[in-house]
Amino acid sequence: MDTLDQFINYFSQNSGYIWVQFYRHFLMAVYGVLFAAIISIPLGILIAKYGKLSSWVLALGSIIQTIPALGAMAVIMIVMGLGTNTVIVTLMLYSILPITQNTYVGMKDVDKTVVESGFASGMTRFQLLRMVELPLAVSVIMAGLRTALVIGIGIAAIGAFVGAGGLGAIILTGTNATDGTPIILAGAIPTALMAIIADLIMGWIERKLQPVKSSKPRTA
Amino acid sequence: MKKTLYKGRIILLLVLLTGCSLPGLASTTKDTIEIGALGTSESQIIAEILSIMIERETDADTDLVTHLGSSIVQHQGMTRGDLDITSTRYTGTDLSGALGMDPITDSDKALNIVEREFQERFDQTWANTYGFENSYSVAVTKEFAEKNNIETVSDLEPYADELRFGVDNAWINREGDGYDGFQETYFSFGEVYPMNVGLVYQAAASGYMDVVLAYSSDGRIKEFDLKVLEDDGRFFPPYDASPVIANEVLEKYPEIKDITERLAGQISTENMQELNYNADVELMNPRKVAIQFLENHNYFEDIEKGGN
Repeated sequence: MDTLDQFINYFSQNSGYIWVQFYRHFLMAVYGVLFAAIISIPLGILIAKYGKLSSWVLALGSIIQTIPALGAMAVIMIVMGLGTNTVIVTLMLYSILPITQNTYVGMKDVDKTVVESGFASGMTRFQLLRMVELPLAVSVIMAGLRTALVIGIGIAAIGAFVGAGGLGAIILTGTNATDGTPIILAGAIPTALMAIIADLIMGWIERKLQPVKSSKPRTA
Repeated sequence: MKKTLYKGRIILLLVLLTGCSLPGLASTTKDTIEIGALGTSESQIIAEILSIMIERETDADTDLVTHLGSSIVQHQGMTRGDLDITSTRYTGTDLSGALGMDPITDSDKALNIVEREFQERFDQTWANTYGFENSYSVAVTKEFAEKNNIETVSDLEPYADELRFGVDNAWINREGDGYDGFQETYFSFGEVYPMNVGLVYQAAASGYMDVVLAYSSDGRIKEFDLKVLEDDGRFFPPYDASPVIANEVLEKYPEIKDITERLAGQISTENMQELNYNADVELMNPRKVAIQFLENHNYFEDIEKGGN
């Protein structure tokens, strides 16, 4: 009970500070995922079209995924220096696999007969991609972004070690204090909430983009 | 490729948005001064003090880079240009760390050397010390000290054989300023108990240990009512804390020099213990601790008047 009181006390006294770190934390995660998406979505489309590349690219993505985030961040820090950019690059690396993989799967899952009928109706490859394949794959791609964002919010918490701040900094402060549990909670609970809320919102968008509902009457 | 064209709009937008630095995140424009700090409360409080003073007296913005792992990380950040100021640098640490020189027990000499070497080698100014140091120090309970009239480490010698000495795990085997060296300068204790350094304060207060090796500016010295004994044998190297500032920044904002000069000698080890206590035990935010301290001292404006 005492810890809870102290937590509420700390939270109310430092709400401004926590909010600033929350915002910073969120932005780092979002930028990481956005930049990864810029690389990974075209990459996913590419490997879906040229199947030979796919195993190589996905294997490379998996290898990156196995490197401990803290280690990767430390190595990137040597090149990029201290601060948020290092965290964003690290997050980008970890987001490449989920986004590429989902784009790849989404593109592969598009019904071949739909693509063929589009082709038969005289659509160019670009039109096919834009008007048929991508709309059908977009919800799966969104699922990849969702996974990447949730992972990213978790990884951004260790960004505090390279001087990027964020909610991880609050957690670290708590570990240094004598009975720092309230401070640790003040950093950990918002981090968890952020991940949960991001997951819910992205899940909602994903469902909204689901093509099946609207296309069902047409295909049936 | 055509598919990249499709994404073109989004990419273009992003590139425009992120052209120089990412919006929303600490923009490292030329007018932002980056202040580095260690993970300790002490370092962060001092960084906040500098940040508040600089923003108050110059038109520069400041940004804190906190929780850096060690003084070496701080040093590398400075030499790379990621940081413009580091809030707390300790003479003893950087003598052997950044400079790779032998430890020196005389604090003035050590300060002179780091001042000179940082200026010459790294084009950075090692400002005058704040007035506190964070060194290893021998502490006993106030009760014990008063009863046996103990002020210095040497005063313990008559009782040493019966005393239990609680120390930091890392210290016992340290070369130079470790226990071996300690025995050469002073004497041996009856029994030595290595433990996690965070435990020593409580161990002394609760009577499990008679004498402990503490960090001199730790707020828990105050919390557990311990007395730090004077190192009369001058055994421990000095760890006087100073800010280090890149000369480039000092040229651009000469006011910073004035700020560090006014802060010099103003924060005693006792003051620092109190500030650390507020952060480590009372769980106050370092920024609040810093604001409170500066308000209590009127932002050291009186010093300026006296000085000029």
